[in-house]
Amino acid sequence: MAENILVIGGGPAGLHAAIELAELGVNVSLVERDTFFGGNPKKFKYKYLFPDLQPADNVIGELIKRAESNNNIKKYLSANIESFKEDGKKFSAVIKSSTGSETKTFDSVIVATGFEHFDPATDSKYSYQLFDDVIDIKDLERMMGEGNFTRPSNGKAPKNVAIILCVGSRDRHVGNQYCSRVCCTVSVKQAIELKEHFPETEVYIFYMDIRTYGFYEDLYWKAMEEHDVQIVKGRVAEITSGPDNTVICKGEDTLLRGPFEIPFDMVVLASGMEGGPQSPEMANKLGIELDEHGFLKQENVTLSPFKSNKDGIFLAGACTGPKAIADAIVEGGAAAMNAYIYAKKNS
Amino acid sequence: MANEHNKNSERPVAEKGEHIIARHLIDDDAIKEEKNLVIDGVDVSGRWNTFIETRVDSEFDRSFFGEIQKTVVGSRINRCWQCGMCTASCTVTPLYRRFNPRAFIYMMQLGNLKQLKKYVDVAWRCVGCYKCSQRCPKQVNPAEMMEALALLIKKYFPEEIKSKHQLTIDEEVKAIYEGMILGHGRLDLANLHTSAMRKMGKTTELMSDKDERGAIFKMMKDGRALSVLRLGKPHKWHKSKDAIDNYLRHAGTLEQENN
Repeated sequence: MAENILVIGGGPAGLHAAIELAELGVNVSLVERDTFFGGNPKKFKYKYLFPDLQPADNVIGELIKRAESNNNIKKYLSANIESFKEDGKKFSAVIKSSTGSETKTFDSVIVATGFEHFDPATDSKYSYQLFDDVIDIKDLERMMGEGNFTRPSNGKAPKNVAIILCVGSRDRHVGNQYCSRVCCTVSVKQAIELKEHFPETEVYIFYMDIRTYGFYEDLYWKAMEEHDVQIVKGRVAEITSGPDNTVICKGEDTLLRGPFEIPFDMVVLASGMEGGPQSPEMANKLGIELDEHGFLKQENVTLSPFKSNKDGIFLAGACTGPKAIADAIVEGGAAAMNAYIYAKKNS
Repeated sequence: MANEHNKNSERPVAEKGEHIIARHLIDDDAIKEEKNLVIDGVDVSGRWNTFIETRVDSEFDRSFFGEIQKTVVGSRINRCWQCGMCTASCTVTPLYRRFNPRAFIYMMQLGNLKQLKKYVDVAWRCVGCYKCSQRCPKQVNPAEMMEALALLIKKYFPEEIKSKHQLTIDEEVKAIYEGMILGHGRLDLANLHTSAMRKMGKTTELMSDKDERGAIFKMMKDGRALSVLRLGKPHKWHKSKDAIDNYLRHAGTLEQENN
């Protein structure tokens, strides 16, 4: 008899885990809270992915297509896990969706509930939602996805744009001490896209460190060397309104040891990633642990990063910490293997 | 002191910015004060019209960046990410701490003329050893960037160069340089330095200024000043010399063609 495995979350990690398991002949139940699969990349209409600027649809669209066409995957949209309990080595869950409630028994579970973008409105120094021209990384991603690169306030091309890194990351004041890993790379990618669309626009990146790790560094070099994107060292402490419908970024240039107050046509906040409300919700429901950063805790970050602290429940993707889509997809596959082995042993 | 002022002018005038609390924190250039000023018939001489310019930078001037990028020597300015490898490997920085290629490149990137102006006196001190260019991880070529800097300083601050630093003897320094190369086949830094200073009529400074004397002493101590004597002329020097001679003969015409 085929194994039954529950995958919670239909983003890149969950989709990939579901597809891999289904191809092994496992009966997969894929539970997604939204009305669509694809997770945050789909929700915020990511258009092009770093590092190679390939269309997001090549990746996300492809995963969705493969999941939807696979009959071994039972898809639940607008759904959630209403109740969950252990049943010996197995698990019993009530899945509630638009079509009603269904109780099922599973051999193992993969949690891939992902992340939430940090909401910059919760940090007043950035004046997000106060000024139209102060947007964040996901807003710009969606705008660019819709082919719109102009200033929200007047629909015109911006003369200059400030990209501010580490918004909601590496900041004890907002409660997030960790680095969100991808914002630097997304930001240099967006800077390149902006410059390709408006070559005359001046793009500045305010940074403390630029962490385009690994080969993502190529994109950072490209932004500077091919598109004249200027990096300025120092974090912005305040955004206020300026003359001629501009917004002023106030900060310290730590290399020159001098204060600056520069008017910009548009400001993009590189807001980081958070565990979101779904992480503690999952922790409570499934009886697994949350880590000190608000993400789901891995059994051993190095040896068994795809295991939760509870046997038979596995973790994949950004629910265990900020990461790139590529990493989430890899983890989906790895967690699928872990979950399959567990199910095989105990079914 | 106050009595002298009374004798020499109609009314006592304070020293510039004298009445500013924590005066030592404010740059001279940032204090605007007319010794004698009458506005609408009201005499506001001296400290009554004192005004301190803001330290806050309120714009990035990218036209300046563009200007440098167009030059051959400055074309790679967009590459610099301010790691400081250039300054770390610089021959000059240990002698003149204010000579900081990394910072100069940044000021050029942001078009911060206000800052650059403070370094008119040291900005031209690159000796062209190219250690920075050899070590720069981004191949910015900082050594030649310093040449771009010198050109821009010449263009934007001609008055400061003339009045404060008397750097108008390019031709003479060039002659010393050429004479040394052609005569010895090597560059003798100590000799170059002292003869340039002498030509500029700065013999007093040569011996009195702490930095200058220190530099010469250091070059004597570490052997750079004597390296020419010790090493002699380079191998098969006459061939190189012919080439340099040939180049110098045509250099004048080349410059004219370029213009």
